[in-house]
Amino acid sequence: MSDLDRQIEQLKKCEPLKESEVKALCLKAMEILVEESNVQRVDAPVTKIILNKNLWVRMLFGATNVSSRSAFSRLRLSLVPNDAIILICGDIHGQFYDMKELFKVGGDCPKTNYLFLGDFVDRGFYSVETFLLLLALKVRYPDRITLIRGNHESRQITQVYGFYDECLRKYGSVNVWRYCTDIFDYLSLSALIENKVFSVHGGLSPAISTLDQIRTIDRKQEVPHDGAMCDLLWSDPEDIVDGWGLSPRGAGFLFGGSVVTSFNHSNNIDYICRAHQLVMEGYKWMFRNQIVTVWSAPNYCYRCGNVAAILELDENLNKQFRVFDAAPPESRGAPAKKPAPDYFL
Amino acid sequence: MEVEVDDKDLKAAGAELLTDGRHGLHIHGWEIVSSKGFILNSSSLTTWEEKLKTSHLPEMVFGESCLVLKHVTSGTKIHFNAFDALTGWKQEALPPVEVPAAAQWKFRSKPFQQVILDYDYTFTTPYCGSETIELDTEKKDSGEILEASCIPCWEDCEEQIDVVALASKEPILFYDEVVLYEDELADNGVSLLTVKVRVMPSSWFLLLRFWLRVDGVLMRLRDTRMHCAFNDSANPVVLRESCWREATFQALAAKGYPTDSASYSDPSIISQRLSVIMQKSQKLKLNL
Repeated sequence: MSDLDRQIEQLKKCEPLKESEVKALCLKAMEILVEESNVQRVDAPVTKIILNKNLWVRMLFGATNVSSRSAFSRLRLSLVPNDAIILICGDIHGQFYDMKELFKVGGDCPKTNYLFLGDFVDRGFYSVETFLLLLALKVRYPDRITLIRGNHESRQITQVYGFYDECLRKYGSVNVWRYCTDIFDYLSLSALIENKVFSVHGGLSPAISTLDQIRTIDRKQEVPHDGAMCDLLWSDPEDIVDGWGLSPRGAGFLFGGSVVTSFNHSNNIDYICRAHQLVMEGYKWMFRNQIVTVWSAPNYCYRCGNVAAILELDENLNKQFRVFDAAPPESRGAPAKKPAPDYFL
Repeated sequence: MEVEVDDKDLKAAGAELLTDGRHGLHIHGWEIVSSKGFILNSSSLTTWEEKLKTSHLPEMVFGESCLVLKHVTSGTKIHFNAFDALTGWKQEALPPVEVPAAAQWKFRSKPFQQVILDYDYTFTTPYCGSETIELDTEKKDSGEILEASCIPCWEDCEEQIDVVALASKEPILFYDEVVLYEDELADNGVSLLTVKVRVMPSSWFLLLRFWLRVDGVLMRLRDTRMHCAFNDSANPVVLRESCWREATFQALAAKGYPTDSASYSDPSIISQRLSVIMQKSQKLKLNL
C-alpha cells in the first residue's frame, strides 16, 4: 500500500495527518491543480463497454477454462453498473461524518466521479480531516474528483469561521492552515460538465458574460473583495430582482432570472449548478429550472434539521437528486452541541 | 437537552417534571416548557414571508421553537418565539449597515439596471418577549372552552434583579437554551436570537439575547433578563431588565481593544466593552 493510500485510509477514519505529511500532500496537489483551467472540464468516460445479452451468455457459459474464468471475473468487476458520470456536491463545512454519509449514498471515489463546489471548511468540527481527505483523493485520482473553490476557501474567512482555530487546536501551530490556504489559491473557480452544465460556488458576475472571460482570470490569489472572481464565489440568485441587485450590505451581487437566461443562452448551457446557500430540502430550482442550488451539509451546524442533496448526472445528463440525512449522532463521535446548564447572569 | 436532575432536589423544591412528553416542569404555580424544532422549510418560509410582508427572512428561522412560562392561576403567559421577534424587526426597520467592502464597491462599474436592496439584513429586533393573559372559562351548555385574552401591563420600576441571589449555586432544576433565529449575514458576521432559562428552588431566571456582529463594522447586544422569585405568600412579581449595548469596531480600536472578528465570538465575554445605549427596568404583578 502506497503512503498516499495509507493516508486516505487514515483520513477516512477521521484521523488527521502529520504536519509533514500535509506539507507533502499540498505540494503534490499544487502540481495537479496548477494545470487546471478556471473552467475545469468534466466529461463522460471516452469509452464505454456495452455488452449485449448474447455476449453475456456466451461469456458465462463459454468460459470453461480457469484462466478465462478469472479474466471474466476481472472484466465483470470493471463493469459494475454505475451509470452516473458525475455527482455534484455542495457545501460540506467540516461535517466529516456527514460527508461519509454522502460517499455512502454516492459511492466511493474513484468508482464514482465527483465534483465538489467548495466550502469544504469552517463551521463544522472537522474541517481539517474533511479538506485533507478530499485533497488526498484529488492527488490519488485527479481525473475522478474535481474540487472548485468556495468563498470559505480563503485566509480571511477561515480566520473568523473556524478552520484557523481548528488547525491551531489540532496541530499547535498555524503551519497546516498556511499549507491549506496556499492550496486554496490554486483551486479552480468553476467546472463545465459535457459543455452543458456550468458549475460554480456562488453565481454570476456582471463582469462576466462568457466562459472565456472566466478562463482569463488570474485565480492564484486570495479571494479579492470585489471583481469577477469575488462574484463567482459570493453572489446569489434572487427572486425579487430580474436583472442585477446589490445587497443591502453594500457589497455582494444578486442576480435575477433574466441574467441567468442570457448567460445560459450565450454560453449554450442547459443550466447552472451552484451551492453557497442553505436549502432545507437539499436542493432548489429557480428561474424555470435555469439554475439549481445544491446543499450537501445535512443538519447544518448540527441543529438546523435540514436534509442534504447531491445531484447525479448520467451519461445523457439525466438528473437525479440523491437526498440524504445527517450521520446518526452515535456514529458521529462528535462533541454533541448540547447546552450544559450554567449559572448565566 | 437532557440534564440529570436530582429527584430529591425536585421534591424538596415542590417541583414536578412534565410527564406528557413536553420538556419542562411545574413549580410554585408556574408551568415552564421549552420546545425545539428545526428551521422552517421552503413552504413555511413563504407563508411567514407573506404574513410578515417581507421577502427576506433569516436563513435559519426556528419557527416551531419556543419557551413558555405560564402562571397557571392568573393565566399569565410569558413566551418567546421567532415570529413575534421578527414582527419587531419589521417594525423597527433600521437602515442597513454597510460592510467594509462597500467602500470599494462604490467604485465598481454598475451593471445595467441595478436594484439596491435596502432592508435591515441584520434582523435587529427590539423584542423583549411576548405576553398574554389566557382565561379558560368553560361554557356551561356547549362545553367549549372560551378563551379570553388580554395583554398584561409592565410598569417601570426602580427594583433591580437580585444578581447576588442568582449567583448562589443552588441546584438547577430545569435548564434550556432555545435558538429562535440565526443568520450568517452571508459570511459577514452573525445575527442570533436565543433565550435561555434556568429554574432553581427559589426562582426562575431567563436571558433573551439578540447578538449581532457585522465583521469590521459594529456589534449590538440587546439583552432582556427576567426574574421571578417564588414567594407563596404574596402575588408573584416578574422583574424585567433590558439593556442594549452597541459599539463600532472603530470605537473599540480607539480604546485599544482588538478589532479582529475572532476576538468577538462570545458576547458574554466582551459585553462590557460595548457601550450601554438603553437600559430599563420594569415589573409585572400577577394576580393569584
